[in-house]
Amino acid sequence: MNTSKYADLFLTEGREYLSAINHSLLALERAARGEAEPSDDAVDAIFRAVHTIKGMSATMGYAAVAELSHEMESLLQRVRGGELAIAAPVTDVLFKAADALEHGIEESVAGRAAAVDTREVLSELRGFAPVLAVEAERAPSPAAKAAWSVAAPAGEGKLVRVRLAHDTPLRGVRAFIVVQALRRIGDVASVEPPLDALHADQFGRDFALRLVTTATDGDIERTVRGSGDVAAVRVGEDKTGLAQPATATGNGLTREETKAELVDPARGGGGGGGAGDPRGRSVRIELSRLDSLMDLIGELMITRGRLQELSRRDGDAELAETVTQASRLIGDLRDEIITSRMVPVWQVFDRFPRLVRDASHSLGKQIDFTVEGKDIELDRSMLDEVGEPIVHLLRNAIDHGIESPAERIAAGKPAAGRLLLSAARDRNAVVIRVSDDGKGIDRERVLAKAKHAGLIDPSRVELSDAELVRIIAKPGFSTAEQVTGLSGRGVGVDAVTTRVRLLGGNVDLRSVRGRGTTVTLRLPLTLAIVRAILARVANEQYAIPTTHVRETIELQPHAVSMLRGREVLLHREDVLPLIRLRSVVGLPAANLPELEQAVIVELADKRAALVVDDLIGQQDIVVKQVDQVRNGLRCFSGATILSNGAPALILDVGSLS
Amino acid sequence: MSHTVLICDDAVFMRTMVGDILQQAGFEVVGEAETGVQAVERYKQLKPDLVTMDIVMPDMGGIDAVREICKFDPKAKILMCSAMGQQALVVEALQAGAKDFVVKPFQPSRVLEAVQRTLG
Repeated sequence: MNTSKYADLFLTEGREYLSAINHSLLALERAARGEAEPSDDAVDAIFRAVHTIKGMSATMGYAAVAELSHEMESLLQRVRGGELAIAAPVTDVLFKAADALEHGIEESVAGRAAAVDTREVLSELRGFAPVLAVEAERAPSPAAKAAWSVAAPAGEGKLVRVRLAHDTPLRGVRAFIVVQALRRIGDVASVEPPLDALHADQFGRDFALRLVTTATDGDIERTVRGSGDVAAVRVGEDKTGLAQPATATGNGLTREETKAELVDPARGGGGGGGAGDPRGRSVRIELSRLDSLMDLIGELMITRGRLQELSRRDGDAELAETVTQASRLIGDLRDEIITSRMVPVWQVFDRFPRLVRDASHSLGKQIDFTVEGKDIELDRSMLDEVGEPIVHLLRNAIDHGIESPAERIAAGKPAAGRLLLSAARDRNAVVIRVSDDGKGIDRERVLAKAKHAGLIDPSRVELSDAELVRIIAKPGFSTAEQVTGLSGRGVGVDAVTTRVRLLGGNVDLRSVRGRGTTVTLRLPLTLAIVRAILARVANEQYAIPTTHVRETIELQPHAVSMLRGREVLLHREDVLPLIRLRSVVGLPAANLPELEQAVIVELADKRAALVVDDLIGQQDIVVKQVDQVRNGLRCFSGATILSNGAPALILDVGSLS
Repeated sequence: MSHTVLICDDAVFMRTMVGDILQQAGFEVVGEAETGVQAVERYKQLKPDLVTMDIVMPDMGGIDAVREICKFDPKAKILMCSAMGQQALVVEALQAGAKDFVVKPFQPSRVLEAVQRTLG
């Protein structure tokens, strides 16, 4: 069999399984230290993943990988049988084996199978598990996994399960609308999660309730679907064994099974059935295919704009109608393509707990690492691009931020430092935060070094957060006393800001001495097509991505005043710095319109008012990267072609602060 | 016959945009309002099939305007236009009688879906 065309698939899947293995190993390690309840699920999840890798690698003819996974399986089998206790020696060797497995997979796929040397780790594994045949083809046990992520509420009434669409804005409010709609056809007896939590958006996409009603299942389903943004509904009791909440373990490997359950014909009496469920079936598709679809739809969007413009000029009603119809279809197509590229951030975030563990071990630090918002979705390419900056930030936090246990205790803090990585959706953007409760950035040292390097006026005595970011983001700037293997080469923050800017996002940093540091990344949902507000200054048009736009207002002259020598705008009880695009791009302040417009933009964690002559409208624009001109303005992230065929520069809002 | 719409928002830009989206979809924009007080007045005068209502407006906010309009016409079909992070206010508006909501910045397809549900 010619297996080369499967190699990519093997690699992709293999990485997913490895991520699941690492994830579950961390859970085991916590249990071994008595920090968490020991759970059979974790062992089962690792077993399943290893078992699958074994099967795949044997098919591919990667003998070393197959042998290694076989030995891991043997060891796990003894753990499952209760022969071996889960303790540090076992988890340590499993971690080591997982690394060897990863290395083996990467090398084998790269055609260097001969370079894979697993002898050492194999003998360690065998040290625990005498070589005996495992029931090799024993089916992995179906551990807790479920299509629905919330428990069924108890009580009387029909069980109604609802899953909201993944891109639902204000999920809590949508859930409220669903509940209100059901109240019109019956009595809502109990809701899981409780209503307060629902309204506060404290749930994933699933919720469940009990409805006492005389309405038919079909009516209930129609009512729920009619409330908008509903991806799936099920009326009727759970099948036994499927009702437990999904565990975080083995995300990577239970997906297929989860999907199978969703299309199970035996599911409750909802009239819609599997056919109406968009999650019903799936195919794997190469990313490059999705990339070319994205490119094509980008070009199509530009053509659509031209077409609309031309038909408007032509004035033919029939043509106009057809163009409108085609435009709407193209818009829908674009939305579908963008959606099909979205993946949950856990696909990348799941490898971080392992990274944090290793880094903190090697530095002798204790770190309590939490990840929030794992289900938030982001464009696949964007997610790939953003992984590395996040690694930089985590390493910075571990290396420079969080102190050693002794220092922390002396400072009156708990010995274990807290490190939080969170993702959240904010309108057209995804906000990713890395925050620690460590010692914060030493401003005095940064200030001293900045003066020394001639980066700042020597008479300055204090630095604002914005200046701090600008200075530490300078290439080669680091205050770390010594360069460690982790960070401190002074490339961290610089690399992060550069990368995130290129992605059309921006970076913000808050640091309080002795209390910790928070870095916020604000990213658009996709790379290639963004929605932008078109603004005019003099005769030039600029595109401002809506990722960064809060709202637009007319600039009332009386709302503008001076504060510490800078112009500010008083807006709804906020005082916002005023930035005039005219002066940013170096145009003379001549021929000003009677009434200027202001775009309230978000700079990661703060806001500013950007003043322009006029607002032209909103448009989907296709981002074309441009090479930075030497000594040119740094305030543009790219260029685009507008629907009238004219080019426009895309403003890099993050550079304006 | 096409549906009539009253658009309430304090920003011209937003009013123009919502208006364009709805007109393209065949609605007839019969009036606009910049404040809550105006919204209530125009509603009584024009009795439109649909109202789009911004939450934050000067001179009586959108939520109070929803209350007033529903007092006058309990069958009023009002669609709230909200910014991200205003969930508590949107829930309040829905309790006051609004039918559905859309979140800024607007995507035409989402606005039209919400309009269909509001009229539904």
